Amino acid sequence: MVARTGDPPRGSAAAAGLRRRRMSGAGAGAGAGSSSGGNMLRFYTDDAPGLKITPTVVLVMSLGFIGFVTALHVIGKLYHYRAGV
Amino acid sequence: MPSGGFRVLHLVRPFLSILPEVQTADRKVPFREKVLYTVISLFIFLVCSQLPLYGIHSATGADPFYWMRVILASNRGTVMELGITPLVTSGLVMQLLAGSKIIEVDNSVREDRELLNGAQKLLGVLITIGEAVAYVLSGMYGDITDLGAGNAILIIVQLFFAGIIVICLDELLQKGYGLGSGISLFIATNICESIIWKAFSPTTINSGRGAEFEGAVIALFHLLITRTDKVRALREAFYRQNLPNVTNLLATVLVFLIVIYFQGFRVVLPVRSKNARGQQGSYPIKLFYTSNMPIILQSALVSNLYFISQLLYRKYSGNFLVNMLGKWKESEYSSSGQSIPVGGLVYYITPPSSLAEMAANPFHALFYLTFMLTACALFSKTWIEVSGSSARDVAKQLKEQQMVMPGHRESNLQKELNRYIPTAAAFGGMCIGALTVMADFMGAIGSGTGILLAVTIIYQYFETFEKERASELGFFGF
Repeated sequence: MVARTGDPPRGSAAAAGLRRRRMSGAGAGAGAGSSSGGNMLRFYTDDAPGLKITPTVVLVMSLGFIGFVTALHVIGKLYHYRAGV
Repeated sequence: MPSGGFRVLHLVRPFLSILPEVQTADRKVPFREKVLYTVISLFIFLVCSQLPLYGIHSATGADPFYWMRVILASNRGTVMELGITPLVTSGLVMQLLAGSKIIEVDNSVREDRELLNGAQKLLGVLITIGEAVAYVLSGMYGDITDLGAGNAILIIVQLFFAGIIVICLDELLQKGYGLGSGISLFIATNICESIIWKAFSPTTINSGRGAEFEGAVIALFHLLITRTDKVRALREAFYRQNLPNVTNLLATVLVFLIVIYFQGFRVVLPVRSKNARGQQGSYPIKLFYTSNMPIILQSALVSNLYFISQLLYRKYSGNFLVNMLGKWKESEYSSSGQSIPVGGLVYYITPPSSLAEMAANPFHALFYLTFMLTACALFSKTWIEVSGSSARDVAKQLKEQQMVMPGHRESNLQKELNRYIPTAAAFGGMCIGALTVMADFMGAIGSGTGILLAVTIIYQYFETFEKERASELGFFGF
């Protein structure tokens, strides 16, 4: 399976998560295509470890979680209602 | 590739396969789609920060995170109780570890970067679990015996999943599906929400002088209309102490404008392409080179200090060392029972609440100022090293793109950049710190840190929007 990791080639951060935002911010003004270069050169072909999930799965998962908590509330209320009366 | 010897980073490897990872976009995600993803993520976040946790009995006890709620994008008693705390904390810890060379990372090796990413995520998950358990066990949602084991576990599970979702959303946005990053998006939303709320909140509060509106603007009109003495009404609207007043609002706007003005400060270095003749470019080095990173790190540090200090103070308030770290007292004004620091180290790193307090204790103000400036400058300087935006990295990057500075030899590039970048980082960090302090002293709504974060994030989004739009147009143009 062809997988391309998200590591930006010029990055070298501990906090990779935080780094990218900084790049998009402070590096935004970099002129003459200096910010986008190199990205397409890195095309990794081996499998990156990790449970690969697509963005849709993330969104569905989040909605599922919201639904789950809401359901808990509803069930809790119903249960209390039954038990209380 | 460094081989042999024991490397801490390798401990992460077994866990990599179970950590969820969002796929990187393998195509260019169109601008509209990015906006869509961003909006949906934001929507999920907002719903989560209103959705109450199931199974809690009360959320009224002392709130150790009261001070940091806004900055950490968390909401009391909701699923987003932890907000982005785990994310920011794990980022901070990994940065410090890598920066201080405790864990060796060779950034040119892909495996190392991957492991580092994995380690950060793993740490985030662990912090989520740890904090969730600590919250429940410390009785923040009611006594553990009242809750029962089932409910306690349910709460932990909810908090855990919420943490995973925040991590995934952040990654989703960063990996090219959205704009900016989850952290900044959530922080900015939360701060803007609180500013708007404090300006226009229709809630009435009775604090002895009759019912008053909480929102500053609404209160201004309400007081002007109902009071007979208009001058006194105006004075009250501008200077009332316990609720947001119009002065706070004006200070907020002023800080906003000043920060935007400073964002434009930059040194532009001319660069020129080596192979394409005549292709001129420029490499701007901004005054706020590291943008809001220093304050994010600084507030992560302070919030963790607060949390530890409060926990310790509640348990061992007699201890000398604990008192040195911080003494806490319940605030008179609030009903939610938030405590405020009144002594020790944490008191001195808390902004003075008003000008009067500054005059009463100038040492406090001075210490706070020094602390902010130093912390911001230092964090800013370490950040460029860790984030790969130091002079060396930029020089390498320019070289890869065959860019040279006219009038300088290629080998000189790094030296030339070195003249500007560390200075910009340290001085910019200091400026950010100074602005934060100024905002605090003027009493801007949502604390100086909050405002600074919000403004810089909004500015970044503005820039991203412009860039995206420009690149879209470029596509159509060709």
